[in-house]
Amino acid sequence: MEAPPQTVQTLCRMCDDRCGIDVRLEDGRVVDITGNPAHPWNLGRLCVKARAAVDTVNHPDRLLHPLKRHGDDWEEIPLEQALDEIAERLRAIIEKDGARSVSVWKGEAIGFAQQEDLARRFIHAIGSPNYLSNDSMCWVGRFTGYKLVLGAWPNVDIENARCVVMWGANPPHSRPNLTQRITKARRRGATLVVVDPRLSAVARRADLHVAPLPGTDGALALGLFHELVESGSYDRSLVERTTVGFDDLAGYAREFTPDVVERETGIPPATLSEMARLLRAADGRVALYPGNGLEHHENGVDNIRAILSLNALLGSLGKVGGSLFAPPLPLRDLTLYDERPLTELRPLGADRFPVLYEVRRECHTMTALNGILTGAPYPLRAMLLAGANPALTNPNSHRVVEALTKLDLLVVRDLFMTETAALADYVLPAASFLERTEVHTHHEIGVVTLTAGVGRHPEVQTEYEFWRDMAHRLGAAEYFPWEDDRELNRWLLEPTAISLEELEAHPEGVTYSSPPADAEIERFPTPSGKVEFVSKHLAELGYDALPKYRRPAYIETPDPAYPFVLMTGARSLLFGHSRSHNISRFAEEAPAPGLEMHPDDASVLGLADGDTARVTTRIGSVEAPVRVVATNELPRHCLQLTHGWAGVNANALTHDDRFDRISGFPLMKSVEARVEPVGRTG
Amino acid sequence: MRIVVGDPEYCVACRDCAYACAFAHGGGFDRESSRIAVSFSPEDRVCLPLTCMHCAEAWCMEVCPADAISRDLETGAVVIHEERCAGCKMCLLACPLGAVGFDAAAGVARKCDLCDGDPACVRSCTVDVLQYCEPGEMADSRRESLEARLRAVYRKGEGGS
Repeated sequence: MEAPPQTVQTLCRMCDDRCGIDVRLEDGRVVDITGNPAHPWNLGRLCVKARAAVDTVNHPDRLLHPLKRHGDDWEEIPLEQALDEIAERLRAIIEKDGARSVSVWKGEAIGFAQQEDLARRFIHAIGSPNYLSNDSMCWVGRFTGYKLVLGAWPNVDIENARCVVMWGANPPHSRPNLTQRITKARRRGATLVVVDPRLSAVARRADLHVAPLPGTDGALALGLFHELVESGSYDRSLVERTTVGFDDLAGYAREFTPDVVERETGIPPATLSEMARLLRAADGRVALYPGNGLEHHENGVDNIRAILSLNALLGSLGKVGGSLFAPPLPLRDLTLYDERPLTELRPLGADRFPVLYEVRRECHTMTALNGILTGAPYPLRAMLLAGANPALTNPNSHRVVEALTKLDLLVVRDLFMTETAALADYVLPAASFLERTEVHTHHEIGVVTLTAGVGRHPEVQTEYEFWRDMAHRLGAAEYFPWEDDRELNRWLLEPTAISLEELEAHPEGVTYSSPPADAEIERFPTPSGKVEFVSKHLAELGYDALPKYRRPAYIETPDPAYPFVLMTGARSLLFGHSRSHNISRFAEEAPAPGLEMHPDDASVLGLADGDTARVTTRIGSVEAPVRVVATNELPRHCLQLTHGWAGVNANALTHDDRFDRISGFPLMKSVEARVEPVGRTG
Repeated sequence: MRIVVGDPEYCVACRDCAYACAFAHGGGFDRESSRIAVSFSPEDRVCLPLTCMHCAEAWCMEVCPADAISRDLETGAVVIHEERCAGCKMCLLACPLGAVGFDAAAGVARKCDLCDGDPACVRSCTVDVLQYCEPGEMADSRRESLEARLRAVYRKGEGGS
């Protein structure tokens, strides 16, 4: 084998931005990571998380050998033995309780591209439909909204917009290099509207910051819909040609007068009308970007549907600077949903949340965890979990730990002994994103990039190697015929016009789509072929056809015992969810999350910045340092606590028993809470 | 010569630059030791990234009694040579921008050195605010942005339909 070059170009996967990076190697060891100026996504610019990847892959606590539990102790065992023993135990469980008693769970800690579909492929190959992942509480809520209204998730063309709307998204922290595109649009004269209860980083530069109370976004969207219809500022003939249910939605939205919107959301009529004006002034070049902040509410999907419906009134669909429907790169599909759908085995959660399963073939993790404890609807006895840390990231951590502990067999693949791995029977060392070669697409710019795969360790498998070896041991070898990751990549690329060799020669990525152009969309991939302001399909399933606004419970049925509303999960710049907290130079700078609080609330409670407060919900209680924000950074009676820290765990407070009715997403961002002072620190 | 500039119109005070600067110079992420300061005033919603402008007439350099500050011939950066710095802090007093800091642990003054012509703060600015450019380019860029905003105000639509 020839010595690796000193600098390798690949992609970062510390978050979903996947920026082009130059990895500097010395004797095969990663010593530095800098931005790759040649990659069109980030153009050389790179956030501080990427540097954490160097510390991550070289971390002294990095798992490099398989571990087997003996009581409270771990035994280091050879890889082949670990795989054999795990397969043996899986076989016994399948024999007794059937294949569906085995599940897989995909997370993001090892980065993912093909990782997700390999896990989906494996579990169906061995005869179980139970694929679980972090997606049943992130991303799929918006995907569901898009599927229902537009039939697909389009590319939001921020760079060419005349008005950029960030609705519940804060890219400087969540997808840093997306922010470049907002700046580019603004340099060309675009306006920026940010809808967020918090004055997030991106809201600091907004022409208009609209701060609705948590979970009331649907009322705001319907108010805007009404205002746009009233002012006649929409293309009537376009709406007639391309939508269904306009009269119904316009009729329903009539209830959302500026006064009603103010009562529901707290947004003054002048702000509502200014937002409508900015949207109208953009002549359809409105880049409306929905964020994760919209998802974790009991009314999330209908709020998202109402928001996305605005696109059709604004005429932004199919328009440069709006939402574009470019064909994806036609990579081969690794999943087996056509060959082996297995729906007769009742995927966990599909009965209660049929839309979640139907749009994304996603089982419901909260149902699965509950099922481990209750045995309903059928026993779930084994789980192979790759790069996920639900003990910190799923709602109601205490119950998650209880459930995972009860499994007959828990296998965790990860880089570190995480809170979840600590519960496992076997812990397998996983290859980091830097150590794997995968095909990544940046659909926003139509570029495909192959990651390099550098710095392998002998007993540390890639995702493909693990699922292949496990499938071969369980009689499903036919589904995993490729010799290695590289051959798999070659197979994936076959239907495209781009070869593996071409990608290998162009680590800065290869463009697969033509530049954006205006085009009227003839047919949307919805059941009616049109934009669905009303969904007949939802009505058939027993939901409202209209995106009806339902007040969040904390407003509809206020409980004096819980006078605050707690949002969790605002992103931080240094950490991706529960990751990187074990890197000392990061932990020193940010040892704990702050409980964000309005200064008037802090003053009523006698709390000052840095004091410790106890925040309590119906689920649990946590002590956290208070961060008193400015009066315009958070509405009164609202709190925010970022998740991912083990010491101050926001998910000890969130609900695993209250869900969005359509997506099944858990209640994590409008949670009833109370706060008490604990004492002063220092 | 080129300097690091950032237009406050676009900065969101994420402070990625400050982390990157601290890391490039000390290997940690303690923003206190960063050579670029980003202030944020919530009530005004103003974000101001400020660092050394490498003045043509550098008062810090003129006032230094130890001759520890000089101009890098290649980049034009005004650079403190720590091994010669006596820790007298005269440069802190002389700098009208407050761009010279003091490392109490090491007992030396510290400031932006333009990272030998590849400033870490600029490479880390994912908002695309910070630029490493000639001062004239900054003015061009501001004027172009202003023109674009004025175009948005005076736009009459595409017409002809």
